[in-house]
Amino acid sequence: MNTKCRASCAALPILALLAVGGGGSSARAEEKKPVVGLVMKSLANEFFKSMEEGARKFAAEDGTFTLVPVGMNSETDIDTQISAMENFITQKVDLICVAPADSVGLVAPVKKAIKAGITVVNFDVKLDDKALAKAGLKDLVFVGPDNREGAYLAGNELAKKLGKGGKVFIIEGNPGADNAKMRKAGFEKAAKEGGLKVLVSRTAHWETEEANTLVTNLLTSHPDVQGIMAANDSMALGVVKALDAAGKSGKVQVVGFDNIPAIQKLVKDGKVLATIDQFGPEMAANCIKTGFRMKKGEHLKGWLKTPVKLITATDLM
Amino acid sequence: MRVKQILYLLLREAGIGLALILMVIAFSAAAPRFASMANVTNILTQISINTVISVGMTFVILLGGIDLSVGSVLALATIVGGMIITNENLSPGTAILLSVLGSALTGCLCGVFNGVVCERWKIHSFIVTLGMLNIARGAALQISNSRTISEFPDAFNDVGAATIFGVPVIFLIALAVVLAGRFILARTVFGRMIYAIGNNEEAVRLSGHDPSVYKVVAFIVCGGMVGVAAIIYMMRLNIASPILGVGFELNAIAAVVIGGTSMSGGKGSMIGTLLGASIMGVLNNGLLLLGMGDFARQMVTGLIIVVAVIIDKYRAQAFLRSSYELAPAPPREEPHLRDTGPGPRV
Repeated sequence: MNTKCRASCAALPILALLAVGGGGSSARAEEKKPVVGLVMKSLANEFFKSMEEGARKFAAEDGTFTLVPVGMNSETDIDTQISAMENFITQKVDLICVAPADSVGLVAPVKKAIKAGITVVNFDVKLDDKALAKAGLKDLVFVGPDNREGAYLAGNELAKKLGKGGKVFIIEGNPGADNAKMRKAGFEKAAKEGGLKVLVSRTAHWETEEANTLVTNLLTSHPDVQGIMAANDSMALGVVKALDAAGKSGKVQVVGFDNIPAIQKLVKDGKVLATIDQFGPEMAANCIKTGFRMKKGEHLKGWLKTPVKLITATDLM
Repeated sequence: MRVKQILYLLLREAGIGLALILMVIAFSAAAPRFASMANVTNILTQISINTVISVGMTFVILLGGIDLSVGSVLALATIVGGMIITNENLSPGTAILLSVLGSALTGCLCGVFNGVVCERWKIHSFIVTLGMLNIARGAALQISNSRTISEFPDAFNDVGAATIFGVPVIFLIALAVVLAGRFILARTVFGRMIYAIGNNEEAVRLSGHDPSVYKVVAFIVCGGMVGVAAIIYMMRLNIASPILGVGFELNAIAAVVIGGTSMSGGKGSMIGTLLGASIMGVLNNGLLLLGMGDFARQMVTGLIIVVAVIIDKYRAQAFLRSSYELAPAPPREEPHLRDTGPGPRV
């Protein structure tokens, strides 16, 4: 309380000076940097952590704005995100970049922020199209990768390797999570086009140990499987261990998603056929850049796709 | 009512073991490839981690306490172990040894915190370990910077994959832990005091023993077991991650309760806990082999936990009744003084 008081006392003469200065806008810009609120998903997740670090690095190098990142406790902690949005609105920040934990639940606070005159850019997971249209925000800018396309690329690589009639499992992420749904859809599309037969599709909740147990058990009921598509690399790690234990590693092809450091050695060793890089560290930074372009008057709308890249052993040599 | 008596006897003696056997028979008949050696090996591998955590949890629950922090402490212990084992300045042998010690010590230290705070300020373990759940998770994320650690020495990883006549080595470790736990509970002063405190803490205090010491030690044992489970986790999956183990506390509590240990303390056994963990593992494996979907599987597992506890209620009643109906009942002592072991008998 005390320091807050002092800070506002100190700010008074500065404000007075600015008022005297009248239209001296260049001086004002130097005094007060624009504030960017970054609403992140769980920073416990390696992927989002590296994204947040990328944004911090960008903020430090750029130096023209103040970055306020807010993470949450778990993947499903929607409340924390909504409170963070509300706090940013109260503080009247200049730009909010939001990676929604729930593609429907975050639409209302986004609308509130836009009404309050704040520029909002959606990134990582796209807000629900229907909910956006209902809120009159059909053209809200989204900066992010196409998870479906990424999964499709990985699935396609697997289909090419196995040929028509190859038998596969799909190991899904959290049921209900938007990126999990998109990735599953991408895998299914690749399987359909490549003539693969999906034996079973089950969730392991993004978890290594659960994926290991799941695949070990699935191998018992479906020993004829030839390929496994895992919706993230953490699960792919567990899948590879299950294949190792069953003496099938290298014989059953695995694809993952995210290109985390721990998976790269397995890709090089041929235990994992491919993974997908969606360039997380740059994503939040790109979102902030996009926001400033919009503030400068550039008219942007809809989905600005960020790259997804298939990573195979040759990419890591 | 001869049949009824026999049934009571069976329930009393076999109880949860009988349920496990019935479950195995049912799955063997219904699920293809359930009853194969390879599948048995798989199930034993899969229950090892939960079994070891549940052994520690049994000590705490027997005291009428609870430890909600085991999943988070597991993650923290793997991170400490993982950082030591991947340290390039150490030779593989030293790294493995220090890593094992580091994991176990991390678990014990968390147990010291849980136990001491509970006892010094007389706070219920539910809330203290809820705090620890967050402290350990936060610490694991902080020191690892939320990165997964991998690439452990081959000698270490090989243990996780090794089997002896189809029995996984990590299950043998878990079994050794169970037997040690059983020995401690049944044959040592410490073990008997755990039961006595769980039954009637006041009586123990009045008989001149300080329950606090035993309670703190029980939490340390629980933490230490989590440390051992962390090593098994790392051996099996060859990674250490700050986000692993979410919800493991619930699996451990379920295993302990299915195994017949009372949540209010004072009643239960280590073998029961092993059977409880086995039931959870068999169920998970069997339902999947039956081809059941994710959501149905989750519901059935939940249902089984509740049913197991209901059966256990009947078992407790059967136990009481059979001691009236069968056999010339021995002179009954007051229940809370039954297990005070070496303490002075009133």
